[in-house]
Amino acid sequence: MNCDTNGPVDGVDRRSVLAAGAAGLSLSLSGCIDTVRSVVNDDGDDQLSLSIVTVPADGDRENVRIARHLESNLEAVGVDVTLTMRSRSEFLEKVLIDHDFDLYVGRHPADYDPDFLYEALHSTYADEAGWQNPFRYSNPTFFDPLLEEQRRAEGEERRARIDSVLDGLAEEKPFEPICRPGEYRVARTDRFDGWDDGHLATRRGYLGLDPLDEEIDRLDALVTDARPSQNVNPLSATARERGPIVDLLYDSLGTVHSSDDGEHEIAEWLAESWEWETPSDDEPGEKTIATVTLREDCTFHDGEPVTAADVAFTYRFIADTALGQADSPSPAPRYRGLTSLIDEHGIEIDDESDYRLRIPVEADRAVAERAFTVPILPRHIWREELRDRIDTAGDVTAPQGQWGLVTTSSVDPIGSGPYQFESQSDRDYLALERFDDHFTRREDLDGDHLLAPMVEELRFNVDPGSSSSIARVESGAADVTSSMLETHAINEISDEPEIQRLEDPSWTFYHLGFNTRVPPCSNPHFRRAVSQLIDKKWVVEEIFYDHAEPIATPVADEWVPDELAWDDDTSEDPVTPFVGTDGSLNVEAARAAFDAAGYASDSDGRLLGRY
Amino acid sequence: MLVRVLLQLTVVVTLMILISTALFVGRYRLRDTRVEWRSRIRAAAPITIALAVVLLFNSVARQIVPDLSWMIDWNFTEPIYDIEGEFILWLQSQATPAVTAYFSFIYIYGYVFLLIFPVVAYFALSNTRPLRELLTAYTLNYALGLLLYTFVIAYGPRNMMPDLVEALLYDTYPQYQHLTRQVNRNTNVFPSLHTSLAATVSFLAYRTREIYPTWNLLAAGLGVSVAISTMYLGIHWVIDVLAGIVLAYISVELAGVLVGRWSLSEWLDGHVPSLGAFRDSNE
Repeated sequence: MNCDTNGPVDGVDRRSVLAAGAAGLSLSLSGCIDTVRSVVNDDGDDQLSLSIVTVPADGDRENVRIARHLESNLEAVGVDVTLTMRSRSEFLEKVLIDHDFDLYVGRHPADYDPDFLYEALHSTYADEAGWQNPFRYSNPTFFDPLLEEQRRAEGEERRARIDSVLDGLAEEKPFEPICRPGEYRVARTDRFDGWDDGHLATRRGYLGLDPLDEEIDRLDALVTDARPSQNVNPLSATARERGPIVDLLYDSLGTVHSSDDGEHEIAEWLAESWEWETPSDDEPGEKTIATVTLREDCTFHDGEPVTAADVAFTYRFIADTALGQADSPSPAPRYRGLTSLIDEHGIEIDDESDYRLRIPVEADRAVAERAFTVPILPRHIWREELRDRIDTAGDVTAPQGQWGLVTTSSVDPIGSGPYQFESQSDRDYLALERFDDHFTRREDLDGDHLLAPMVEELRFNVDPGSSSSIARVESGAADVTSSMLETHAINEISDEPEIQRLEDPSWTFYHLGFNTRVPPCSNPHFRRAVSQLIDKKWVVEEIFYDHAEPIATPVADEWVPDELAWDDDTSEDPVTPFVGTDGSLNVEAARAAFDAAGYASDSDGRLLGRY
Repeated sequence: MLVRVLLQLTVVVTLMILISTALFVGRYRLRDTRVEWRSRIRAAAPITIALAVVLLFNSVARQIVPDLSWMIDWNFTEPIYDIEGEFILWLQSQATPAVTAYFSFIYIYGYVFLLIFPVVAYFALSNTRPLRELLTAYTLNYALGLLLYTFVIAYGPRNMMPDLVEALLYDTYPQYQHLTRQVNRNTNVFPSLHTSLAATVSFLAYRTREIYPTWNLLAAGLGVSVAISTMYLGIHWVIDVLAGIVLAYISVELAGVLVGRWSLSEWLDGHVPSLGAFRDSNE
């Protein structure tokens, strides 16, 4: 779908309006009415109404169950709730691009490093579409300085900043983290070896997998999500939350390397090395510079060489996908947080070498290296695409986050990664083919983490659900489940010797997102009162069968401040404990919390708007 | 896995059809069929081709329809759920393993049998009108159903309430999801084509109750079971099922009006004399 030059009109979903116009208002039972209703409620004594956007149970049963838990508790306190179901890509479009929601329940990809909060919360992104700040939350005096400072600080100093961010987050609640699910998958060990080597949501999981027999020329992985079979555009916000496919098609300068003791670092990948120049304290205006040297003689899948110009292009392109040719910049709806670590205008390509460039960064090196995980795009392909769109469009408007270039599935999926695009069939499969010229297949490599693609073909087959995926792997028709298994199905994994249950560390978390621009969710007291309607302990027990941990803060492990650690003794959220016990709400207490936030109930028990 | 499921389905349904043919159709009708089959096929050929075309179009259109639906963007899940969320929950609360096994069997095997057997049974009649009405009604069901699917996006109860509606069929027998996925998308629940096609057979069986009295009873029982199974298994809402029954009624009535109104062979005789002559000489 191509761009809409005007963008959403006053927050009203454009397509709903079209639908309503085409059909007569009586037929438009969905989006349009939601919007109209919340407008009406702003000024009357009407019942408060909210929409919760969620995804259908196919492939992610937990998500809609959390949404319904919240729905029933909101209804109990007297809110008129509409549960809105959208397919996964439509869900992301509604939330990330159109911002057409009051509340949503979803899974955030997160990261091992808390710097992902910069992208999630910085007010610069409050008006952008994409993964950057979908809550449209803006608190430039409190959060922005802390988020910026933590990038430049180290050690205890950085931790102190992060603690402050997390404490502020727990009070303000632009979103409410609910729980972190365990990442389970299942694999067959009789055809491939090496399943334990890497996280299967990253490229590493699929590299170095040894076929146990020379005859084996294809690895069949199962995904419970049809999107990989439809769109592999690396910049699309809606085509994936995360996952290995872009990582396999595209190289990045560095790659996340996890040691056995759970430490994560960025190790060299497409870059052979990088060196840091940190300005001394008496040069206050100077920036830290990374001098990056690329591996020589790497090529893209179409044979064109990978040079420093492609790297420089990638960082500029993500900052503005129209490269200055549109009326206003059009940043990509993805990777914004990572590329903001870099001053893309200051990148200099070495005069003497096509393989060396100087990248000025806005952060301490440990944080800044995360910017090296962005996929490197071929300049010749994307510039051509951009030119085509500008030529045909004449007047250049590139609506941020939704213009053709960042949503289309038609750009040649050419990267320089270990696997190249072979074919795809809608809702059926995506086939990748080993890229024999990939640098990891060279013999003189130095580095244990440089695993090579082994099997000739890697095929991601779309499967209807976790239960059938497990059955399919166990029957020998597939090698591994690539999508994370839904927790209800984990017990179905048999203990046959050739079946291996895999468990990977997890950063991803389920959360409740608020649209902080739209009343009543613009009110932090209201958001807190809503957060208290979720019994995270009950959710983990009843919906995740204990294959998840309740959380009060969105970061993992060592970054959790003591005051926000989940208290196993009380099993309560340390800031906004559930008002009730064992999943059942104490309605009186919950209403009192809303009342204190300024939302009274009428005599029929309906919660009223404040205005 | 799909192959195994298909094979199993074929074997079971073939057995059911053989037994039913022996029970309901009987020796004499089969004997007549052996004599008259050519003319009966000729009579049913035009509508069979029409049905095949609609089915082919259906399978192609199914690739495009969901994208088109999202563009039109009429989401009916929320209003349906608001209206009748409770009934499906009540129905689910009646679940026992035996009942689940019965309705799962009905949903897959009973349904396929219910659709195929009347083709055999009506083919065995000298009067080809019931056969032509049946095939016409099938065609109308698919054509109208696809039209509705294009306009309406709705997820079934199992996608909305996976906790209570325990997606019984696919949890108990995950292999069937491979089969049903070939035939349907999870956003296409309004109306229930399972119900509409099953009800179509039941309605027509009622019309032919004097020829096949026992089949009329069996078809009624199976039709009701199929309709309940779609709700019991969490696949359809009551509204989908009601819409399916309405669709079946419209299709059967329309088929009654349409069949016999135009005769392709007469038209051919009138317009293409040489073809008519060719055909006659061929007999």
